[in-house]
Amino acid sequence: MFASFTFARIPADYEDLRATARRLAKEAVADRPMDVCARSWSGYDAEFSRKLGAAGLLGLTLPKEYGGGGMGPFARFVVVEELLAAGAPVAAHWIADRQSAPLILNFGTEAQRHAYIPAICRGESLFAIGMSEPGSGSDLASVRTRAERRGDGWRLNGQKIWTSGAMHADRMIALVRTSGSAEDRHRGLSQVIVDLHAPGVTVRPIKDLAGDAHFAEVFFDDVALPSDALVGEEGQGWQQVTAELAFERSGPERIYSSVVLLDGWLAHLRSTGRADAATTALVGGMIARLATLRAMSIACTALLEAGESPVVEASIVKDLGTAFEQDLPLAIADNLASHRDEPVSDELRRTLEYVTLVAPSFSLRGGAREILRGIIARGLGLR
Amino acid sequence: MDRSELAQPFERMIAGLFPPGRVREGNGWDAERREIEASGFLDLLAGDDALAFDHAVPLFIVLGRHAAPLGIGREMIARGGLGDGAEAILLAAAIAGAGERVLEMAVAYANDRVQFGKPIGKQQAVQQNLALMAEHVVAVRLAAELAAADFPDGGAMKAAVAKATASELAPRIASAAHAVCGAMGIGMEHDLQLFTRRLHQWRAEAGSETLHSRALGIAVLADDRSAVDWVRAEVFREA
Repeated sequence: MFASFTFARIPADYEDLRATARRLAKEAVADRPMDVCARSWSGYDAEFSRKLGAAGLLGLTLPKEYGGGGMGPFARFVVVEELLAAGAPVAAHWIADRQSAPLILNFGTEAQRHAYIPAICRGESLFAIGMSEPGSGSDLASVRTRAERRGDGWRLNGQKIWTSGAMHADRMIALVRTSGSAEDRHRGLSQVIVDLHAPGVTVRPIKDLAGDAHFAEVFFDDVALPSDALVGEEGQGWQQVTAELAFERSGPERIYSSVVLLDGWLAHLRSTGRADAATTALVGGMIARLATLRAMSIACTALLEAGESPVVEASIVKDLGTAFEQDLPLAIADNLASHRDEPVSDELRRTLEYVTLVAPSFSLRGGAREILRGIIARGLGLR
Repeated sequence: MDRSELAQPFERMIAGLFPPGRVREGNGWDAERREIEASGFLDLLAGDDALAFDHAVPLFIVLGRHAAPLGIGREMIARGGLGDGAEAILLAAAIAGAGERVLEMAVAYANDRVQFGKPIGKQQAVQQNLALMAEHVVAVRLAAELAAADFPDGGAMKAAVAKATASELAPRIASAAHAVCGAMGIGMEHDLQLFTRRLHQWRAEAGSETLHSRALGIAVLADDRSAVDWVRAEVFREA
């Protein structure tokens, strides 16, 4: 079962790349408190992203002719691992680098590739993903935002929500209906590139439960799109989105969301010298899960490297990985609160509080747990 | 050598020697020993031209898949002069094999058993449980494969990762299989119990999850590296 999903090693060629990523990440987080580092995914720092671009650490898997690194998925694994393990702010390039550029490479025209990819590789172009709508979350095929042919181009009307980084982004790649109605499901959907500075676009930040505003709702009121806004083929949006999500689900980002907190807790235990039996078992159990998940994520990366589309395997990594990320704050809170006479720094306390509050999102973003298990069940031959 | 080149003849031999009826009778395998001895499999891990250790993982997965006596594996480990770490890692592989087998049995049963007018495998609640079970089976196998790579380099910590993971997940895999197979799986006549009883037994052998987790925890807390750096260096043995 899943016989090709098997142990693999990261090729040794990427050690220089790792060293560069580590150095830049360390510089970026030097003055940041732990609870700010814990916001790695949503940490917006345009200057840092440009530095990564200048150092050749963005667009690693994209062809050199578009300004990319011309390397394989393992190069990206190594760099992302270093950035997230350090808690570096990645939001300003995250989506464009991970999803938008590969999507444009795979489905875009030659002109679109030259127009968008080089700037993404320099860390100068921010993209957002327009998938969710108020009435369309897990049931993504029910989107109602509509682009209609008007003259040479299109007119866009509708609304997206929970769009990460939309207030900073230059463009959005939106999944919209270009024909038929919501009842037509997967048919009649397309992906379009929307200039978020265009007239008729309104971006309204949404505050999350931790007080941050990293996602937004985006309104389209008769927005004029040029003819070349369409990415890929009209009506093929669903197939394109499915392929795009496979990039999103298997990387180290599905293991490391709580790793800054884990390191903060380890530092606390080391400084207090507390190594009681319950604590060492807890630490070791988490380390065993981390190691196993890393082996699984690397195995998945090897499948991507071999040109496969490991949709089921990526879902396995994401479901187990996010469960690990979510268990960490709960276990750490219990461990600290069971030693009430032991002082805990404000920084660690704030980090724990933040990760505890946002942890539910780890298994929502990029496909909810129940949806992933449905994909795995299909892989098992149950659907 | 391709790992499947070894595993396939081993699988045929073990499946032939230990059909479910034979496994039911007991743990002795004296009658089968001569045949296995003659096949040369017991010496695969021994001698100058011994098999690379990570190639032993698929063989132990086969033992687990057929609920075969672990004495075969122990004999191989002893002849190879391999220590406790090897046994813990290969037990994890056997757990992965037994886990794979009960997953197949549970999926087949879910597709077969009709209730409320349709196979129970069409019920989302059942699908969700089987999906999680598959995740756990894959996790145990990857942990064993990770630990076996470059053994005995970093052996103690790798063995701890593999056995902590396998022992943690073995009872969850077993209980998920029983939940799907219902009363059928509780019967002595049903093959499921051949595998789930061994999942529980192998979970405890060579140390349970808490024992191995503690060993890891003590080592990590005695160090000053970050979690990811420690795992990369001490378990993955990356530069």
